[in-house]
Amino acid sequence: MSAQSENPHPTPCLPTASGAACQHDSARPIDHLQHALKHAAHYLPAQGPIGVFVHHNTLHAFQHLPFDQAVAQAAQLFGTEPFLSEEAYQTQRARGRILESDIDAILGREPDAQILPGRLTRRGLRRALLVPGVRQVNGRNIAWQIEEGGLLESFRSDLPPTAARALASDLPENLWNICCERLAPSVPPSPPRAPRRPRAALLSLPEPLDLDSVVHPPLIRLTGAFLDQGVAYWPMPLRELGLLGAVRKIMAQSGSISREFLDTVPAELRRQEKEGLDAGATALQMLERLGVPEDDWESFLTAELLALPGWAGMVHCLEIDPALAPHEKVHASLLDFLALRLTYTVAALEKILGNARSWRTLQQSIPASDPLVHRARLFDSAQLLGLDSHTLLGLSDPEFNTLCTELESFNSFERRRVLHLAYELRHERQILIPFSKHLTSPVPKSERLSAQVIFCIDEREESIRRALEEVDPSVETFGAAGFFGCAMDYAGIDDPRGVSLCPVVVKPAHAVREKARSEDTHLHGKRQALRRAWATLVRHGNISSRTLVRGSISTALLGFLSLFPMAIRLLSPLSYGRLARKLNAFFLPEPRTELQFMRDDDSAREATAGLMAGFSIDEMADRVASVLGPIGLRTGHARLVAVLGHGSTSLNNPHESAYNCGACGGRTGAPNARLFAVMANRPDVRNALRSRGILIPDDVWFLGGYHDTCNDEVQIFDLDLLPSSHRSDFDHLEKVLDTARALSAHERSRRFEAAAPSIPPEKALRHVQERAEHISEARPEYGHSTNAAAFVGRRSKTRGLFLDRRSFLISYDPTLDPEDRALAAVLGAVVPVCGGINLEYYFSTVDNEGYGCGTKLPHNISGLLGVMNGYQGDLRTGLPLQTVEIHEPVRILFIVESKPERVLRVIHANALLKEFLENQWIRLASLDPDTQDIRVYRGAGVWESLSGSEEPLPVAESSRSYYSGKIDHLPVARIVPDLSNVA
Amino acid sequence: MNPLLIAIIAAPAVLFLLLGALWLAGFTLPERIVARLTTSVYALLTVAVSILGWRLARTPGHSIHASLGDWFTVGDYGFPIELLADTVSFPLIAATVILVGLVGSFSVRYLHRDPGFLRFFLLLNLFAFGALLVFASASMDLLVAGWEFVGITSVLLISFFQYRPEPVRNALRVFATYRLADLFILLAVFLAHHWAGSAAWTDLFGTGAVSGAKTEVLAILLVFAASGKSAQGPFSGWLPRAMEGPTPSSAVFYGAISVHAGAYLLLRAEPLVQGSHVARGLLFAIGGGTALVSTMVHRTCADAKTSLAYASQTQLGIIFCEIAAGWSTLALLHICSHAMVRSMQFLRAPSMLYDHHRIHSASGGTLQPTGEHLESLLPKFIQIYLYRVALGRGFYDAIVDRWILAPARSLAGSLRIFEPDWIRIAPQNIESKSPAEPTHTAESSHA
Repeated sequence: MSAQSENPHPTPCLPTASGAACQHDSARPIDHLQHALKHAAHYLPAQGPIGVFVHHNTLHAFQHLPFDQAVAQAAQLFGTEPFLSEEAYQTQRARGRILESDIDAILGREPDAQILPGRLTRRGLRRALLVPGVRQVNGRNIAWQIEEGGLLESFRSDLPPTAARALASDLPENLWNICCERLAPSVPPSPPRAPRRPRAALLSLPEPLDLDSVVHPPLIRLTGAFLDQGVAYWPMPLRELGLLGAVRKIMAQSGSISREFLDTVPAELRRQEKEGLDAGATALQMLERLGVPEDDWESFLTAELLALPGWAGMVHCLEIDPALAPHEKVHASLLDFLALRLTYTVAALEKILGNARSWRTLQQSIPASDPLVHRARLFDSAQLLGLDSHTLLGLSDPEFNTLCTELESFNSFERRRVLHLAYELRHERQILIPFSKHLTSPVPKSERLSAQVIFCIDEREESIRRALEEVDPSVETFGAAGFFGCAMDYAGIDDPRGVSLCPVVVKPAHAVREKARSEDTHLHGKRQALRRAWATLVRHGNISSRTLVRGSISTALLGFLSLFPMAIRLLSPLSYGRLARKLNAFFLPEPRTELQFMRDDDSAREATAGLMAGFSIDEMADRVASVLGPIGLRTGHARLVAVLGHGSTSLNNPHESAYNCGACGGRTGAPNARLFAVMANRPDVRNALRSRGILIPDDVWFLGGYHDTCNDEVQIFDLDLLPSSHRSDFDHLEKVLDTARALSAHERSRRFEAAAPSIPPEKALRHVQERAEHISEARPEYGHSTNAAAFVGRRSKTRGLFLDRRSFLISYDPTLDPEDRALAAVLGAVVPVCGGINLEYYFSTVDNEGYGCGTKLPHNISGLLGVMNGYQGDLRTGLPLQTVEIHEPVRILFIVESKPERVLRVIHANALLKEFLENQWIRLASLDPDTQDIRVYRGAGVWESLSGSEEPLPVAESSRSYYSGKIDHLPVARIVPDLSNVA
Repeated sequence: MNPLLIAIIAAPAVLFLLLGALWLAGFTLPERIVARLTTSVYALLTVAVSILGWRLARTPGHSIHASLGDWFTVGDYGFPIELLADTVSFPLIAATVILVGLVGSFSVRYLHRDPGFLRFFLLLNLFAFGALLVFASASMDLLVAGWEFVGITSVLLISFFQYRPEPVRNALRVFATYRLADLFILLAVFLAHHWAGSAAWTDLFGTGAVSGAKTEVLAILLVFAASGKSAQGPFSGWLPRAMEGPTPSSAVFYGAISVHAGAYLLLRAEPLVQGSHVARGLLFAIGGGTALVSTMVHRTCADAKTSLAYASQTQLGIIFCEIAAGWSTLALLHICSHAMVRSMQFLRAPSMLYDHHRIHSASGGTLQPTGEHLESLLPKFIQIYLYRVALGRGFYDAIVDRWILAPARSLAGSLRIFEPDWIRIAPQNIESKSPAEPTHTAESSHA
C-alpha cells in the first residue's frame, strides 16, 4: 500500500472556472504554451510504468476542491461517473445497507425550504424521490412505454401509502395529460456551439468521420515504439533525438505509403526538419494553423491530451522522472508528443477540410432535450409526491414553476450524492456503534507475553493478526508502516541494481546490499554463473521461437517440448511449483547471506549515486526509535519481537506490483524487516536507544520476516543468529504463526467462489498457494479491495474485534505522546497512504472503464510499461475490474485515539492533511483515550457525539465460527475465545 | 464405419447444443457445471484420440473412415457426410483436442465471473467442432461447413467485448477478409462438382476427372482460400486486429488451430497443389513474401500480442513455402509443433513483465542487445527505411484502406442516392418521425 502524498503541482486553472486567477503575463507565446501545457498535463493520469504500481488519489488534480465538487467537475472533464449508479444504491437500500433513517439524516443536514407552502417541503420532495426512487426515463422509448409497456395503465405499485391514497381516485391517463398540458415544450433548443475539438467538428459533418481513428493508430505505434522498454527485437532507431526528432527522420522517408488522409505528413515533417523547428515552435505553428486563440490554448490542449490520456500520461511521467523507466532511459517529452499529435491532426484536417482552421466554424448541433422526457419525469415525480391531476392542475404558475425547478435541481447527480452520503453514513454507524459497545468491555490482555509481532498497517494483515491473538492470547501484535523506518536503496544478491524500498515520496539516502557470507562466496559465484547461463538460454529460446530462420528450426523441431510443462502447469499448478522449486534448490542452491549496512565513516558516499553506504549507529537508533516510539513499545518487550514485512507473488499478472507493500514503493518489505531486526539486535544501537527513552532488555531478540499476502507464506530470516536461549520461544512462535496463517488463508478463502465453503484451514492454505501459482488466475488475491477504515491507536482497543480485513490498523499510544509529535508523524504518513489507496479503489469501482482499466481479459502488455486493450489502444491506468469487483466504494473512515481538539490541531498544522480532511476526501472520528467517547467530525471544526445503538455487536467464539459459510461483507463482531470468561 | 471417430468429432457439437439448449430454455448454468462438463468431455476426448492414434499406428499407411451417408440428395447430387483420419488429419485432430482442452481448462479460471463465461464456452465448443470437421472431413463440402464454423466463432470471439467499439470494428474487418477469402473455396467446391461430380478428396485425386488446367484452377483457388484463414499474402494483416478478444481465445485461434487450418487445407489437397506449377509458384511467393514482411514487422512490435501475431504469421509463411516445396511431412510437423509453442506463448503473454524481469536480473542486469546484426550489416538510410516499412506494417492497411475500401465506400455512397426512391415506393411506407441518424459506417474502415 502506498500513496503519492505530495502535491507539487500548482493549483490548476479549471477549464470551467474563470482563468483570471491564473493569467500569467507571458510575453512570449512559447512561455504561455509551456504554461498551458503544464496545466493541461495536470489532468493526465499520474501512474508510471506498471512494474511499480503506486496507489494514489485518481483525482489528485482536483484535490484542492471539496469532494462532491471535484467528482462533478472531473465527471464533466473526463466523461466519467462521480458515484455508483442510482440503481446500485437503490439495490443497497433494498437489502438494508442504506436505511431510510440515513437518508433522512443526510437530508436533515442540508437546508430545507417550502416548495408548495403547507403541502410540500424540499426535504419531503427529496425524500419522496429517493424512497422508493425515481424510474429511469429514456426519451426514445416513452412512446413505446405508453403504447405497449402499460405506462398509463396503472400508477406505480411501489408508492408510499400516502401517495397511493392521494392518487386513489385519479387515473394515470389524466395525470399524464395534465403533465403534458402544463409542461408545454418550454425548453428552447440550445443553440449550436463551436466544437471544442476538431474531432467533434468532423463528427458533425453530414458524412461523419472520426478524426481520432485517423490520428491515433500512428501516434500510438510511434509513441509505443519510442517508449518501449525491451519488447521489440529491433528498438526504434534514433531514439536519442527524442520522439519528435526520431519520427521526423523515420516517417519522412520517401517511398512509403501513407494512410488515408495522412499523405502530407512526410512533407510536413521534412519542412519542420529543414526549418529547424523545435517541438515548441512546431506546436505553436500548429496551433496557429488550427486557429486556436491563445485564450483557448489550455482547454484545447487539455481536451486533445485527454483523448489519449494513458499514453500522454506515461510520456509525462517519464519526463518528470526518467528514473521510472525500468530498463531503457528515454528522453520523453510531453511537448514532443503534443507537437507530433498536432502535426498529424493538422495534416489530416487539411486533407479532409482543405484547411485546418475551418473546423472551428463548423457548428456542432446539440441534441435538443426531448420534451417527452421532462413530461415523463414530472409524471413519475407527481406519483411519488402524491400529486393527483386535480392538484397539479390547480397549482398556480409560480407554484408550478417552483416545483419544476426544484425537481430539476434534484437531478440524478444530486440524488446519487445524497444516496452515497447515506451509504457512507450507514457504514460509519456499522463500524462505530459496535466499536463503542466493544470498548465497554475490552478483552483482557494476557499477563505473560510469549512474543510480539509487528506487521505492516495494511488492512490485509488484520486477519492474520487476529488469528495470531486468537490462537495464542499471549501474543501481542502491532501495526507500523511496512518499510519500518528504513528508507533505503536495496539490492539483494540476485538483483542487478538497487531499488528504493520506501514510500515513493521519500528519496532514500542510504544504500544497503545483501552479500553472500564469506564461507558461501563460492556458492554465490557458481549460482550467478548458472543463472546467467539460464538467462541466456531462456532469452534465446524466446527470441528464436519468433524470428524467421531460427524460428522455423526451433518451432518445427522443439515446439512440442513446450506442451508438457504448460500442461502440468495448467492441470496441476502446485506440483509444477514444487518441481520448479526442487530443481532450483538442486541446481541453484542459495548461499547464506548477510546485509551490508554499517557505515563507520560518515563521509563515505558513493560518488555516482549520491548514496551513503549503510547507516551509522545513531542513524540506526533513529530508525528503530521511529518505529518503536509511536507504537508504544518503549518498555515491556516480550523475549521475541518479530517484524514482518509483506509482499505478494502471483503469475501471469501485469498488476502484480499493486498487491505489494506500497510503503516500500510497490515492492516487498522483507529486506526492511530483516534490516530492522538486525539493527535492533545490536548492543550499540540499544545503548543509543536508551537516551531516546526506549529500553530494550538484553534478553529480547528481534526477528525479521516476510509474509506473502497472496499465498500466506511466512518466512523468518537469519535464524542461525538466534541465540540458543531463545530457541524454544521461537519454536512456539513458529507453531503459532503456522496455525495463524492457515486460519488467515481460510478467512480469505470465504471470498473466493473457487474455494468450497466447507474446506478446512489446511486445504484453504493449499488453495491460496494454488492461486499464487496458477497462470490463469485473474484474481490471485483481492488486494486492498473492501478497505474502508483505518484505526490509529492502541491495539488493546481493537483487540478481539472482527474487522473483516477492512481496516488499516496503525499502532499509536496516545499515553506516551504528550506533545502530539508521534501523532503528527503517524498521521502525516498514513493519511495520504491509506487515503490514496482508498480513493484509487473508490474511483476504479464507481467507473471501472473511466477511472479503472476495465476487465483484465483482453489486456495486452505494451513496452513493459502498461496494458492496453487490443493491438493499438490507449494505455489503461487504474485498477482492473477483477480487483475491485467486491469493493464497497466508501471514503476511508479514520478513527484516531486522541482528544478531538488535538487530532484537529495536528491535522490542521499539515497543509496536505488539512486538504484531505476539510475537502472531505477522508472521514474522521476520534476516540477519547480517557473517556472512551467517540466523536465524528462533520467538517468546519464541528464534532458530533456518537449516539444511538441500532447496530448490534454480535459475539462469536472464534472468527471462523463467525464468518463460516458467508461470502459477503460482514459487520463488526466481538470474538471471545471462551464465552465463560466474558465479564 | 468407425464410431470412435464420429464420437470425437461430434462430442464438441453435442456439448455446444446441450449447453445452448439449456441456456435457451432459461436455465442459468452455474460456471462450475459448464467447467466440469467441458473439462471432462475433453479429458475423455483425449483418451479417445489416443486410442484412435494407437489404431492408426498399428498398421502404417492405414486410414480410418467413417460415413454417415448423405445429408441430403438432390437428383444426382448428394452431400456426403464422410470422415477420414489418416496420417495427415490425425495429428491435427489430436492437436485440436489437446489444445482446446488445455485452453478450456485455462479459461475456467481466467473467465471466472465474466458475464460472457457461458458465451465463451459455447463458442469454444462450436469452434472445436468446426476445426475437427475441417480436419476430419473426407470431402470439400463438409470441410466448408467446418471452415465456416471456425470463421464465425473466430469473429464472434474477437468481438467478445461487444460494448466497446474497437473490438466490433476489428471483428468486422476480419469477418470481411474471411468472407472474401471464402469465395475462393466455395468456387473451388462448385468447380469440383462441375468437373468431377464430387468434392470428395478421393474423387479429386488421381482419378483423372481433374487434370491439366482444371488442376491449376482448383489449386490456385485453394491457395487463395488457405491464405485467407492463415493470414497470408493478400489476406494478411488481420491477425493483429484479432487480438481484441480474451487472451485464451487469441491462444487457441491465432496461436494454434484456426490459423493453421489454411495450411492444412493445402496439405490435404496436396496432389492438386503439387500438380500445379502456378499454384506452387504462387504459394512460394505468398508464403515467402509474407514471412519476410512479417518477420520485419515482428521485430518492431512493442506489445506482447501483436509481436506474437506477426511471429505466427512469419512461421505460417514458412510453412506455406514448405508445402510449395513438397515437404509435406516437415510442414505437418511444423504446423503441430508451432501450434503448441505459440498457443502456450499466448497464454503466457500477461507474464511478460515477470519473465523479462527474471531474465534481466538473472543475466546480471545487462541483456545482450538485440537487432544489432541488422544494424551492422545495412547502411543507416536503408535501416531507417526498413524500420519505416515495418512500422507501417508493410503498408498493408494503408493500401487496403485507400485502394480497396475507399473506392468501395464511395461507390456505396453514390448508390445511396437511390435509397430514398426505394423507401418511397416501399409498400409499408411509414411516416418517419425523426430524421434518420447519420450512419457511422464510414468510421469502421479507419480503425
